[in-house]
Amino acid sequence: MKSTTRRVATFLGMMLIALLACQPTFAADKPFTFGLLMVGPANDKGWSQAHFDAAREIEKNVPGTQMIYIDKVNPADRPGITVPTLVDDLVAKGAKLIIGNSDDMKDGMQEAALMHPDIYFVHISGDGALKGEASKNLSNLMGRMEYGKMMAGFVAALTTKTGKIGDLGPLINAETRRLSSSTYLGARYAWTHILKKPLKDLHYKVSWIGFWFNIPGVTSDPTLVMRNFIDSGYDVIVSGIDTTEALIVAGQKRKEGATVWAVPYDYKGACNEAPEACLGVPYFNWYPGYKDIITSAMNGKFSQQFLWLGPDWKDINNAETSAIGFQNGAALSAEHARALADFQQGLADGSIHLFTGPLNFQDGSVFLKTGESATDTQIWNLPQLLEGMEGASK
Amino acid sequence: MLMKTIQQHDLTHLVIRFFCITGLGFGAVCLLLFTLHLSPITIAKSMGSGALSNWIRISHMLSIWTPLLLCSSGLLFTFRAGLWNIGIEGQMIIGAICTTAVLRLPQAENSHALFPALAMAAGLCGGGIWGMCAGILKNRGGVNEIFGGLGLNFVAQGIILWLIFGPWKRAGIASMSGTNLLPHALWLTSPAGWRVAPVALVLSCLAFLLTALLLGNTRFGLRLTAVGKNSKASRLFGIKPELIGLTAMMLGGGLAGLAGGLQVTGVYHRLIPAISSGYGYLGLLIVMLAGYRAAAIPCIALFFACLAAGSIQLPIMLQIDSSLSGVIQGACVLSALLVHGFQTKRRNT
Amino acid sequence: MTLPAPDYCISLFFLFLQVQLFSRNDPFPFTMIELIDIHKYFGDVKALTGVSLQVNPGSIHGIVGENGAGKTTLMKVLTGYIHRTSGSILLNNEEITLHTPMDAIQLGIGMLYQEPLDFLQLSVLDNFMAGNERFSPETMSRILEKLSKRFGFEMQPDTPLHLLTVGERQQLELMRLIHVGTRVLILDEPTTGISDEQQELLFSALRSLRDEGCAIILVSHKLDEVDALCDQVSIMRKGTIVGHQQQPFNRNAILQAMFDTLPQKETAPARHQGNKEILKFTHVCSSNGRSGLDRISVTITQGEVIGLAGLDGSGQTVFLRIAGKLLEPESGTLQRFAAEDNESDSTDSQTVFLPADRLNEGLIPGMSIREHLLLADETPLVIFPETGRQKAKQAIDKFSIIGTPDTAADGLSGGNQQRLLLALIPTQARLILMENPTRGLDVQSGNWTWQHLLDQMPDNGAMIFASPDLEEILDHASRVLVFFDGKILLDSATSDTDFDEISQAITGRIKACS
Repeated sequence: MKSTTRRVATFLGMMLIALLACQPTFAADKPFTFGLLMVGPANDKGWSQAHFDAAREIEKNVPGTQMIYIDKVNPADRPGITVPTLVDDLVAKGAKLIIGNSDDMKDGMQEAALMHPDIYFVHISGDGALKGEASKNLSNLMGRMEYGKMMAGFVAALTTKTGKIGDLGPLINAETRRLSSSTYLGARYAWTHILKKPLKDLHYKVSWIGFWFNIPGVTSDPTLVMRNFIDSGYDVIVSGIDTTEALIVAGQKRKEGATVWAVPYDYKGACNEAPEACLGVPYFNWYPGYKDIITSAMNGKFSQQFLWLGPDWKDINNAETSAIGFQNGAALSAEHARALADFQQGLADGSIHLFTGPLNFQDGSVFLKTGESATDTQIWNLPQLLEGMEGASK
Repeated sequence: MLMKTIQQHDLTHLVIRFFCITGLGFGAVCLLLFTLHLSPITIAKSMGSGALSNWIRISHMLSIWTPLLLCSSGLLFTFRAGLWNIGIEGQMIIGAICTTAVLRLPQAENSHALFPALAMAAGLCGGGIWGMCAGILKNRGGVNEIFGGLGLNFVAQGIILWLIFGPWKRAGIASMSGTNLLPHALWLTSPAGWRVAPVALVLSCLAFLLTALLLGNTRFGLRLTAVGKNSKASRLFGIKPELIGLTAMMLGGGLAGLAGGLQVTGVYHRLIPAISSGYGYLGLLIVMLAGYRAAAIPCIALFFACLAAGSIQLPIMLQIDSSLSGVIQGACVLSALLVHGFQTKRRNT
Repeated sequence: MTLPAPDYCISLFFLFLQVQLFSRNDPFPFTMIELIDIHKYFGDVKALTGVSLQVNPGSIHGIVGENGAGKTTLMKVLTGYIHRTSGSILLNNEEITLHTPMDAIQLGIGMLYQEPLDFLQLSVLDNFMAGNERFSPETMSRILEKLSKRFGFEMQPDTPLHLLTVGERQQLELMRLIHVGTRVLILDEPTTGISDEQQELLFSALRSLRDEGCAIILVSHKLDEVDALCDQVSIMRKGTIVGHQQQPFNRNAILQAMFDTLPQKETAPARHQGNKEILKFTHVCSSNGRSGLDRISVTITQGEVIGLAGLDGSGQTVFLRIAGKLLEPESGTLQRFAAEDNESDSTDSQTVFLPADRLNEGLIPGMSIREHLLLADETPLVIFPETGRQKAKQAIDKFSIIGTPDTAADGLSGGNQQRLLLALIPTQARLILMENPTRGLDVQSGNWTWQHLLDQMPDNGAMIFASPDLEEILDHASRVLVFFDGKILLDSATSDTDFDEISQAITGRIKACS
């Protein structure tokens, strides 16, 4: 028995030595390497892919940059692995700047930033920089998706036949409350101002699945939630999750003869999954934000920022400049597309400002008095859903 | 002399098995990699360096090794008693929940020294009780421990999700991503440059040694083995197999619960739905590959920890999906089962 | 060129018969099976030693013999379940190889097992069709109906099988075997657990099959049914054929051959006979085992050595297990040891049970002699590699076990396993219960075992053993209990009975007398 143990130990020792001996060596010419941690798969046709594609574009267009990435950074996909350990790995591979693309990585990013003061960190969708929780080498970046979501709500309300709009929500936090409320405001505007219908006939319901994407056995299954929506008469579903279940189910239901539509989220090419059911997609374009932060980091001018980038109102679909956009879908009628263009114009010139009072919270308390407009801080930290929306606020 | 002593017999058996398994496993993996046009050497290099090239990585790898060692130790008890403790995942989860519950007590933040220890103990007890439930289901209800364990796993999963989404959710947030971080003071601290809490390392090594000692050198271990090898005959020796089995389930569950607790205090610093990280199931594998013997467990657990820790290099270095490490793991396990089955078959004919 | 006339005639005659009786597509209406010098060894155990047997077409051939004589092994060889070590099997004078049971089925050799091998969840028709390559319920239903009518069985195709009695399941299985072309039919104790009426039906079916030219082999303990049904009988003992008879049979000669001729035994070993009760059964019932126990009342006192005789599964095993507290009686009461010294914690260590299946029920495979002895004795809390080694060495010497303290129980030969079991009997044991204590042992080991047992038995204790070997019982027991169908049919001091009486009682032929 003893001799087996010894043999096994020797064997393992030899393996260890062999492995230690073959550490990789790094190339001499040093590109600026940035690391990207994605919460979902790099090809999710949603949130993570939007980041991945933007980073690829940076690699292509900003000379001297190189990306390394790890996707599926979440405990369900990668058990036992935490953000700080991944940051260690990326830093070991030469990363000078690390982007973490999920709200869920907040604690890990802040911890890693403390541990690596000479590395720059970008936490997407967080507000550690704003609130002063994060060390100086961490910035936040987010797009003003409120506008995109308003457009999504707008086309949804124009299109619905039943007056019932479903919102396939991820988890509940300030960000998702903000985005769902924006969708609702867009829908409400279209319903009351364009269609001139009474507000009481508009039904808006959010169903939260519990996370940004489906984790079997842990979250609600978005496919089932979608079917539920459709079976209870909701004919337009606006998705707030990172993946495309809403559109896919809507496409399937259309094949079965139902007249339903969906508005996916996050990724410019999301409509391709089921174009016939797609009214359009509000998407993030991370390229401008990334370019801004990475180039300043390359030039040694990185400073802590809280970047909340809006659309380029001259052309919200400009890949170079607009941080968010709205891609019209094949299912959007020409008439509605015209109305949407007018709506976008109104948003751009400030004649339409939807976060303006009177607005109440879901529990009836006053959010904005008549004529009062919400500040960025109020919108960013929205504590509740708005009056008229159905679904949990907390 | 035709007769062989246990030692001689098992030694040759184990050595043959070891080489067959590694040979088959590596062969299968290499074949797979070649068909994918990947060089096994590059893969091995990047995974190896990812797990072992410096202390940070080694210590990270050890942070995976720790719960694996604990779970495997726990499973040794149950396997020895002839029980399949599939419920180990649930026992880990309940252990993690109990630990979190203690650390969430309002008093916890003020008595830093006491509460982490108390929390560990709570994890141990919680897992133990959960293990005992499966044992009682078996003894009293005649529910096979595999089904009982599976059922209890679902219950534990349900409880943890409910807690994270319900009573223990973060303020204003309802996300499946986990509870609030524990106050820093309640973490198991690791020295700078360490990715594993020394306390966790020491605890699991102690637990393992204690397990080996209990199984190999005590009356309890002998009785446990007797029950596992022939529970019918053990009765004739005045042993109560039900009682022994129950104790084994309790001990096994306790160690799994401790592993869960260490995941909370040492690794994630919060409760997350995937707190067990599948380490329980991996533990089952480790113990089976180790031939249900203590001696080989640390090494095999080390191997799996290296695979898990090193796999993250695949996407970084080679843009290969890291699930490949799962494939490697699977290939090893299948080869192990194959070799084992083959040996058993040959012995029987 | 002329053919030898007799052969020619016979061929013609056969051809004639074939056309006459079987216009169906049967290539061999008359099937003859011949076994030549079959040997089968399981390791060192010689299960069959040179069995030669010929079963003619159109006859029913009985095979009798006590338990362990090798009947079942022989049948398993014939049906391809186990491979013979040597010897050949001829089917219609052609040597056949039987690798799998399927081979046997294709050659037309079928067996009706004691417990029908069928699917309880399925219907009668489903079971009848099972194993058929084509799925055609209507055709099969018609065939089933026809066969039922022919044999006089009554069976609804839709009935779920679990509603049928064992006898009916047997009928179904018989029809299925006939339908798949079985021409050599083997029956293993077919009348166990079926009613008299069903037995009559079965027998008439078998007779009609015989008249059609089937070769039928009937394995049985029951001489009555062999008498009633068989044309000839072969008697097996200790792995070989020891006798052969044609009708009419000589019952006594058969019994003699089955159990070997005995020198009328001298005397049962003289023991101190106290009248202190060691074990008392009062109206004990159990449904365990094949026959269960049917209101057993018996008292066993100090100094008695009780031999339990009977066919396998007649109740002896259940009796022993209840006595050993391994089973609870379902009704009735059991008292062990006289009331005055019945301290509850000591009675368990005073009773010891040695099962027949040593490796599966008595010993722990993979554990060493030393570990067994440690477990049996008062185990110390902490065990070092040297703990108990000395004691193990002593026991190995004392019990002449061939092995070392580290030899695993499953590495020991059968005899040495039995010696180890004996070594595990605690010295304070007062009630020793044994199933077949010399099973698988050669004469020498058997004698050694008995010598040891009788030496070790304390004066204030008792010993109860079950054995299929009447010789063993008459040699070593002071009293014999003969079980039949869960009842004690004969209870007598061995000095007051004899071989014939016991062997008759085993087959259920005398009235209870106690």
